[in-house]
Amino acid sequence: MFKLNLKIAWRNLWKNKVYAAINIGGLALGLTAFVLMLLYINYEKSYDNWSPDLKNVYQIREKHDFFTPDNKEHWQEISNSRIAGIIKESVPQFTAVTKIDQEWGNGFSVKIDHADPVMVKGIKDADSAFFNVFPYQFIQGTAANALKEPNTVVIKQSLANKLYGTDHVLGKEFKLVRWRDDTGNSLKITGVIADVNTPESIQFNAVSHTGDQDHDPDQIGSSHYTQIYAKSEGDIDTLSANKSLQKVYVDFKKKSFAAEKLSFKDVYKDGKSPGLKAISLKDVHPNPPFSLNWLDKLKPVIGISIFLLVVSIINFINLATAQSVQRAKEVGVKKVLGAYKKQLILQFLIESTLQSISALFLSVILIEILLPAFNHQFNITLSFWHNEYLFSIVLQLIAVFIVVTLLAGCYPAWILSNCNPVSVLKGNYGNSLKGITLRNVLVVFQFIISVTFIIAIGVMHLQTKYISGKDLGFDRDKLINLRTGYDQNFADKIRRIPGVQYVSTTTQVMGNAFNNKSKIIYKGREVNLNGVTVTMDALQTLGVKLVSGRLFAKEYVQDTINSVVLNEAAAGLLGKNMVGQTYGKVDYQGKTITFQVVGVIKNYHNEGFDKAVLPTVYKVSNLGGTSNTNNLLVRFDTKNYKGVINKIEGEWKKLYPDFPFQYQSMDDAFSEILEENKRFMNMIVLFSVVSVSLSLLGLFALSTFVAKRRTKEIAVRKVLGASNFQIVNLLNKSFLILVVTANLISWPIAYILVKKWLEGFAYRIELPLYPFLLSSTISIVIAVLTVSIQARKTAIAEPVVALKYE
Amino acid sequence: MIQLTNIEKYYANKGVKNYVLRLVTTTINQGEFVSIMGPSGAGKSTLLNIIGMLEEPTYGTYHFMGEDVTSLSERKRIELYRNHIGFVFQAYHLIDEMTVYENIEAPLLYKKVGSAERASRIADLLDRFNIVAKKDLFPNQLSGGQQQLVGIARALAAQPSIILADEPTGNLQSAQAEEIMSLFKKLNEEEGITIIQVTHSEKNAQYGNRILHIADGVVKEDVAVLS
Repeated sequence: MFKLNLKIAWRNLWKNKVYAAINIGGLALGLTAFVLMLLYINYEKSYDNWSPDLKNVYQIREKHDFFTPDNKEHWQEISNSRIAGIIKESVPQFTAVTKIDQEWGNGFSVKIDHADPVMVKGIKDADSAFFNVFPYQFIQGTAANALKEPNTVVIKQSLANKLYGTDHVLGKEFKLVRWRDDTGNSLKITGVIADVNTPESIQFNAVSHTGDQDHDPDQIGSSHYTQIYAKSEGDIDTLSANKSLQKVYVDFKKKSFAAEKLSFKDVYKDGKSPGLKAISLKDVHPNPPFSLNWLDKLKPVIGISIFLLVVSIINFINLATAQSVQRAKEVGVKKVLGAYKKQLILQFLIESTLQSISALFLSVILIEILLPAFNHQFNITLSFWHNEYLFSIVLQLIAVFIVVTLLAGCYPAWILSNCNPVSVLKGNYGNSLKGITLRNVLVVFQFIISVTFIIAIGVMHLQTKYISGKDLGFDRDKLINLRTGYDQNFADKIRRIPGVQYVSTTTQVMGNAFNNKSKIIYKGREVNLNGVTVTMDALQTLGVKLVSGRLFAKEYVQDTINSVVLNEAAAGLLGKNMVGQTYGKVDYQGKTITFQVVGVIKNYHNEGFDKAVLPTVYKVSNLGGTSNTNNLLVRFDTKNYKGVINKIEGEWKKLYPDFPFQYQSMDDAFSEILEENKRFMNMIVLFSVVSVSLSLLGLFALSTFVAKRRTKEIAVRKVLGASNFQIVNLLNKSFLILVVTANLISWPIAYILVKKWLEGFAYRIELPLYPFLLSSTISIVIAVLTVSIQARKTAIAEPVVALKYE
Repeated sequence: MIQLTNIEKYYANKGVKNYVLRLVTTTINQGEFVSIMGPSGAGKSTLLNIIGMLEEPTYGTYHFMGEDVTSLSERKRIELYRNHIGFVFQAYHLIDEMTVYENIEAPLLYKKVGSAERASRIADLLDRFNIVAKKDLFPNQLSGGQQQLVGIARALAAQPSIILADEPTGNLQSAQAEEIMSLFKKLNEEEGITIIQVTHSEKNAQYGNRILHIADGVVKEDVAVLS
């Protein structure tokens, strides 16, 4: 029986090859999108999962407002380095604490003997306790002794192989140069650890112990910020641990404020409060301090892939029920031959299973083909067959498969097995309109999704065009950033190279912006601004546009003392005609310094378009504190600056032989900023193409069946004198209503979604009407074309054939 | 074997009852070959469907082999289909996706007949109806007459005690029709299978041994055929 049913299923599929292909192909596409998403989610969930002992590792987070993108308080991954010592002393729950320095810049230079220096990313400087906290597996050396002495380093096996071509590197030494004029540390390799098989939130290739992390800054007023991780012995009550952390932190703050002659109350006002907590390592990756976590970022994509799967299931159901007309006779006959309903349901479920198994295989093939592109798109390394969690993924896949098969197979099976043998055997089942409402609803649903996608593409395209063409407020042409600190001697040397127009530094440039809060008092009012320290000709280098007043210049002595330039956002906060006005700023000793505004410039962008340009004040003077970061801007006066860069590199090599030369053009920095948005857009385009084609396939198949079902009606109409054109129209009309309905429903949905997406941009277009109109036109035109192909076929058929058949 | 008492079938439409069958009372015994005749719309097919339990009467009682089947569970009814009733249709209603062999095999599969037994029964039927050469063809590769032969072979496969045939020769040319009718007669006489057929043709009715004339839902005449 089973064998015969399989045979029938196969013959049926073969007979309706095109529809079977549409069915299977569509389902495979939907499954593929869904499985890729599953893989991605599994990948994100596998973070910091490489050892069971990691459950006792905690990250310490301090609430503060240093180094934040918006100058507001956040729970941050970097904390005052003094906290580590305090935890070690006064929080007994944690038995080991380690400090890990942040990685600055673009990696460090590694020089092995007399070879050319190479840049290596992910060399983290820690104190000696790193391997007391993290249970890495040592291939060579031991966890207990590796980092005991200063100037030692433990490297991962992969890096050992890359640098030396072997992992037998114990005792070898290399010179680590962390910035270009660093004298460097000679580090001895005291351990090689195995690479782990899951992604890590602390990504590193090597852990060095230079000794820098062993001490906190001497002066009470200055602090060093590092990552702090702690380990507990066995399970601890995090709530009580966090209570002790908070208590010792407040005590520490009070003590250090007393030493700095600051009042606790003054610092923690305006809703600010001190805070210190430990979060379990597995919560680190899902809770980044500033940006959205991966799940929230991924939500729209998860939604879309579920939608795609639903669309393909709908197609499946639609086609299967439409086919029920053909299968009805078989069911009727089988019923009178003595088949139980249960057996019939089982038969049709087996058929859907057969199809969804084919779809599953197809989708596994598709996944293999698509994974490289997908990895590239998301900048991760996913794999299917070599996945660490293959077993669990396969389980999930089976679960999805069962759900899909049941969803797709149950309704058609139920419809089919329910048909009444008498009416079937009398031959009028085909004319019954049962199930047509449901199918119409499903088609409308598919088109709602497709039209919404098309509208979204339209709006996204317009917004992307808008931001890529937007005036950045500075001239990104002929401008490069050497990503290194400003050194007067080096700057003077490259200024003399012909083709170089300006050399300068600022903390605010696209690709590397560093915000620093600066509170000023203007006319008795306290205003928070973003304070930027620049060199004299930095604004000229950037090519910003002056609104009023002037930029800094050598001719004005006061520019090195107390002149400032505001951007429009800051000027807008303070008042009109700011040029010539003065404001005060209290320095850390309590003295008020007076600054005079000499110019106002147009806002310029140095971060993504999702963030508004902060109200900013620029100054050359180091009065009232300075900030700096690794930016060395060079503007050329020629388009052909490749040769000039080579000359700069020549100068660099003379001065800094131990550190490789590197630079980024502002054009590249800008593309990088657009990159994320472009990725999202590409994905939406891909998904919508799939969704639209699925819907069209569904519509095509449905129109075929409807045309077939109405064959007799059409024949009669032709005999009565209808023209072919009138018949095509007749068939089109019924589908047109569906597509128009879908359009009407999708407009408000698309409006809400697209508006929400646009709200993520600080700089955005007004919601335009024409993507809406365009998508409706497109959907209607292609629907009409699709239906017409089928309708025409039916219309030009000889009426005799249809009438004789009855 | 079949005992119908006061069978009525009507469709209520806006309070008006449209009768298809009215107070039909008759008995059909084992081994009879009954033809139901009458003009279009007289209720012939409905009567046959009720006998075949494809439709339920609105009123009246129906005993099949001594059992009241008016309120039979679906499972019991299917058991009857499997073991006692064979259907033959005007439009043959072979399953298009199955070969001749598989079509004949289908009822045996439902009846859970063992494979050796199945093979021998099918071989026997193919042989008897002279369609051995066609066993691997699909229905659409056969002529109408051949299709109907397969239809009858399928009905006989489960060795039923009764065959219900709704205009079995309605779609056939007269030569083929004659062949089918003689086959029915032979089955009835030699194997004692009860046959009930609906027919339009007086000539076909003569093959049986009893004719029920129906008009407007009422049995007008119940006559024996003299051979």
